[in-house]
Amino acid sequence: MKTIPDKDILLFKSCLVNVEYPGVESSACYIFDKVGVEYYVDKRQSCCTGLGHYYDLFDQLSTTALAARNFHIAAKTNHKNIVTLCATCYAILKKTVKILNYNEDARNKVNTILDESGLPEMEYTQDDMDPSKNIFHIAEILFNKRDEISKYITVDLSEFKIATHHACHYCKVHYNDTIEGVREPNLMDGIVNAMGIDTIGWYDHKRVTCGAGFRQRFTNKEISLAVTSEKLEVLEDKNVEILLHMCPNCQMQFDRYQPYIEKKLGKKFNIFHLNITQYIALAMGADPYSVLGIQTHTVPIEPLLKRLKQKYDLKEDNRLKTLKSV
Amino acid sequence: MKTIKLDKNPLKLVKDVLNDLKASPDLGIYKCVQCGMCASICPGASQTEYDPRDMIRRVLENDETIIDDETIWDCFSCYTCNSICPSGNNASEVNQILRQMSIEKGEGAQKIKDFCAYGDSFMEMGIGSIPNEFFNVMVKDVGNKYMDLKVNIEDIRTDLGLGNYILPKESTDEIEAILDNSGFKVRLEKIKRCKK
Amino acid sequence: MSKAQLNKNKSNLKIGVFLCRCGGNISDIIDMEKLRLSVKAEVIEEFENLCSINGRKIIRDNIIKKNLDRVVVAACSPITHEKTFQNYVSPLNPYLLEMANIREQCSWVNPDNITATEKAISIVNAAIEKVKYSQPLVPILRKTPNTAAVIGGGISGISASLSLARQGIETYLIEKEPTIGGSMVKVGKLFSPEKLAEECAMCLLNPLVNEAVQNKNINIITNTTLKSAERRAGNFNLLIENKARKVITDRCISCGNCAEVCPVEVKDSWNEGMTIRKAIYKPFSQAVPDVYTIDPENCKKCGKCQDVCRMDAIDLTMEDEIIPMTVGSVVIATGHKTFDMNKRPEYSYGRHKDILTQMELARVMGVNGPTKGELLKPSDGKVPQRVVMIQCVGSRDEKPGGRKYCSKVCCMVAIKHANVIKQHYPDTDVIIGYTDMRTPGMYEKYFKYAQSNEVRLIRGRPGEIEEKDGIFIVRLEDTLSKEPLEIETDLVVLSTAMEPSEGTVDVSNILDVGLTEELFVKEKHSKIKPVATEVEGIYVCGTAQGPKDITDSIVQANAASAKVSELINGGVELEPFVANIDNSKCNLCKKCIDVCKYKAAFIQDNMLSVDPVACVGCGACLWECENNAIEIIGQTDEQILSMITGMLKDKKPDETRIIAFLDSVGYVSADNIGINKINVPSSIRIIKIPSMNRIMPKHLLHAFNMGADGIIMGEYPYNPMYSKTKEKVNGLKQELIKNNINPDRLAFYKVYIPYFRGLANKFNKFNNQIIELGKIGSKIDS
Repeated sequence: MKTIPDKDILLFKSCLVNVEYPGVESSACYIFDKVGVEYYVDKRQSCCTGLGHYYDLFDQLSTTALAARNFHIAAKTNHKNIVTLCATCYAILKKTVKILNYNEDARNKVNTILDESGLPEMEYTQDDMDPSKNIFHIAEILFNKRDEISKYITVDLSEFKIATHHACHYCKVHYNDTIEGVREPNLMDGIVNAMGIDTIGWYDHKRVTCGAGFRQRFTNKEISLAVTSEKLEVLEDKNVEILLHMCPNCQMQFDRYQPYIEKKLGKKFNIFHLNITQYIALAMGADPYSVLGIQTHTVPIEPLLKRLKQKYDLKEDNRLKTLKSV
Repeated sequence: MKTIKLDKNPLKLVKDVLNDLKASPDLGIYKCVQCGMCASICPGASQTEYDPRDMIRRVLENDETIIDDETIWDCFSCYTCNSICPSGNNASEVNQILRQMSIEKGEGAQKIKDFCAYGDSFMEMGIGSIPNEFFNVMVKDVGNKYMDLKVNIEDIRTDLGLGNYILPKESTDEIEAILDNSGFKVRLEKIKRCKK
Repeated sequence: MSKAQLNKNKSNLKIGVFLCRCGGNISDIIDMEKLRLSVKAEVIEEFENLCSINGRKIIRDNIIKKNLDRVVVAACSPITHEKTFQNYVSPLNPYLLEMANIREQCSWVNPDNITATEKAISIVNAAIEKVKYSQPLVPILRKTPNTAAVIGGGISGISASLSLARQGIETYLIEKEPTIGGSMVKVGKLFSPEKLAEECAMCLLNPLVNEAVQNKNINIITNTTLKSAERRAGNFNLLIENKARKVITDRCISCGNCAEVCPVEVKDSWNEGMTIRKAIYKPFSQAVPDVYTIDPENCKKCGKCQDVCRMDAIDLTMEDEIIPMTVGSVVIATGHKTFDMNKRPEYSYGRHKDILTQMELARVMGVNGPTKGELLKPSDGKVPQRVVMIQCVGSRDEKPGGRKYCSKVCCMVAIKHANVIKQHYPDTDVIIGYTDMRTPGMYEKYFKYAQSNEVRLIRGRPGEIEEKDGIFIVRLEDTLSKEPLEIETDLVVLSTAMEPSEGTVDVSNILDVGLTEELFVKEKHSKIKPVATEVEGIYVCGTAQGPKDITDSIVQANAASAKVSELINGGVELEPFVANIDNSKCNLCKKCIDVCKYKAAFIQDNMLSVDPVACVGCGACLWECENNAIEIIGQTDEQILSMITGMLKDKKPDETRIIAFLDSVGYVSADNIGINKINVPSSIRIIKIPSMNRIMPKHLLHAFNMGADGIIMGEYPYNPMYSKTKEKVNGLKQELIKNNINPDRLAFYKVYIPYFRGLANKFNKFNNQIIELGKIGSKIDS
């Protein structure tokens, strides 16, 4: 079992969390503050290039050079343990560290690029970062702190039937570093179980992709959503009410497109989509709007909240009305 | 009839793939036994004509037409094949390398032209964004509330106690310089210029 | 003769040197006259064919008449004629002969008369110098006690025990379960190499078990495991632990009344957990010994069994017992286990009752199994419409938890079960999903037989099994039609990998026997020394060594018992060139024990001892010994140093000389250079050393001091100590730097017998390199 840190953490911003589900980040901070995880967010940090990388737009060298810059920021601020909110950031950063460590030629090229860009201080030296000891996904940190987390649970979520969707780019890219199962991922199930709540555990399609497939959602929408639909149907058959996510891209695929798929198939899926951070924060008593950020969700979370003993000041369909209109 | 011609470099394509920067040092193309386990769990294979096993076979047979084969663009990059391949191969990674080869040859560039706005945004802000064309489709699919969300994102972030996600000017200058010197800028322009 | 005496007298030793012309093979190139005049000895004789009967007469007459103490024969390679000349020096002790190889390694590789003669002189000188330090020796004869322990009572252990016992060897057959029989009793039917039919396993095994019971040379000890083992000069002192059966074997009549009243029900491992048994039980009806056993983990000690036992055979107070035993040899037959399906959860094993392993299917189809031999689905007791078998589950799989190897028997097991199903249930469709069907040799006929029985084959490795509305969906790609395929079925059978059992790993660790990467017992040389482990006197057979079928297991069992028998009956005569300990200097630091991959050194009664049978005299231990308490007989420091002296003492100022230390493989390879008449630089002087581990800094420094310009070390890379040698070469180079000698003057090469041309090339290349570096002591060195 690998060692998972709880300090010196650079909480790595994600492009999709930033503008789609910012509540994932605020929930993460909320949990970290409660259970005493020391972290830092740096406004200079650039995006990992992940989406562009898997659109095949970014070349590996450019992705690696930008990663070296982010690694420099992490090292300079003494927060070398990078923790990502997104599975693609996790896989991209691990891959770049590996390349920078084993491929001398690529390392030299990256360093030349940094030199030519007037950033010689950012040059990468072999083994500056360790792919297994410095790059983590937030779900790993939460798993490591699961017993601590369980002490802060104030809201009872046990009445919901819960399933987990483990992100492909966490489980399957660098599978030797994956904890709690690759072929039957149970990382999030482990966290939820520690909170005293059961999940449905294994279900057919558990390890299947969300279907986003990067370019596929945009250029091959029908097949992309066919994959998503298959998974939703299996979950609906099992009467699952909450699907937990650990990657904003998966969350988008399910949350944004569930109503679209419902319309297309002419059936209703009664499934809420929450990120594992949002789910924990909710259980810890966090506010749904100012911490979880449920106002950014497409499948409304309010019906879920109504079923809780805890009473919330729900904004229902008007949650964005008080703000600017288009 | 197909003929395996006498050829000085019958494994050129495999070697090119293995020499690519993206290729992991333990990428086991040679060890493939064509068992089809990758294809059995591949979302691309179940939904489209894409067949990761057959793609590997063609790479091993030095069949360069695979580079321009439309089916390679149907991979979801979900890496399930990588996580289970009993022979230590990684079809997903090979697919990405073949796509890059296709882009370099020019044909593949058309396939990704529509994504260029992501690159522009990255060059400018250090963050990528969904290209407009696709964004509009999403608004149509998801509904107007999706547009509302985008318009109000700054305020929502403020409510959540999160800072501005836009990078400081100093940083975006650094990123632009890096992407200029890495060749990305030229690459992006080249892709934009390609004809559909 | 003590060493002190030997040294004192060595200048007075009478040495006879006999030069062979070899019908011109030597004398056409070498100036025999000059050679004769250049060496100093009591007697120097020259003869046309020394190996002839007349040659023998000359040597023997001289030894007797001139009272010679030592003999040097300068002729061909010792590889071809050393044994002959050792006979010719009688009445001298054969180890007081030294051969100078002036044919293969001189006249045949050096066409130039002058340099060849110079080389011959130094080769003869080296032999003279060395033979002064030779001691009379006798070959080592090992006798092993007439007892053996066989660990594991499956088909391999039973077969090995029977073979040993039939040869009169007293055998202890040790089994951890309450009964012997192993996996073979569970599989029901067997496939055979020749027959196109399945045979009854129990019917074939039972006579063997009965013979084992009746043979007075076999002691069957069940419910027992190996606890510890010590090696004592060819013997093994074992401690075994006998778990209390709590049933008195002599009294139990196996009536079964006890089990009827026992209230505790547990899953029955005999039926792979598909049925239940009681806490007091007999594993199966033909179990040997034929008695009941209490499973202490589950027994609640209620005493009901005691109440009904009319024989008064149950003793709940019975305690575990530790038993010491001494045996001459050990056979490991600890078998295998099957793959843990938790590592491949996508096949949903354990989630559904109707997904079975092949072993579970064997039990279902066994006439003594849970359904009395009927093929009924465990979920609903109905005959399946279709059976899909999946091959290579856990085998040929590089992913974490997987096994990289082919488990060898699964194709045949699947075909066997498919045939049995098709014979009895022709309406049940059988599909085997495979990657490669591996049915080598005669098994191919059985494969064809299955095809003619309408067993269907689909080439593809399934990625997952799903369940939908009570039907399983096996997902695979039909790789021959390039079609993603979903096969509906109501029974799935997984052909799971064979893995080493826990017992295999535990027993090997206790016996200090090496394991392979996959944790099977490692053979000394998997190609030419099968069934021998790295430890002399310990052998392995059956699936403890690797996946195999029953036939191969029996073959190996017989081979292992033959090796045990060899040790006992023939004894082994071995060259006495092994490590010798000076116990007055030894501080018992055990470093030599740690370094020895042959496991030859051990401590007995507070004294370090070397098992002369195991020791190969490689010399790795000498490096570790701080007190210089170890020497290698036949390769003492004096002998090595004197050979170096002999090779270099007449070196001229303008001459280049390179010492090549070669191991026995390298030495034969160098002979092959000569046999093929390939030229070698005249600078090369070859000294044979059993292992490069023996070469220490003092030897190299002595050679350089004596004027060597370069040194080559050549070793065969597939010997157990090779990695150690490689490490040491770097240390040797550092030592040279410390002494202001350019480390490039030392070269280390891999040597192989057939690649003699490569070795000749290396000699040439190194010679050129040394000429470029210049003479030893030149500027480049400081």
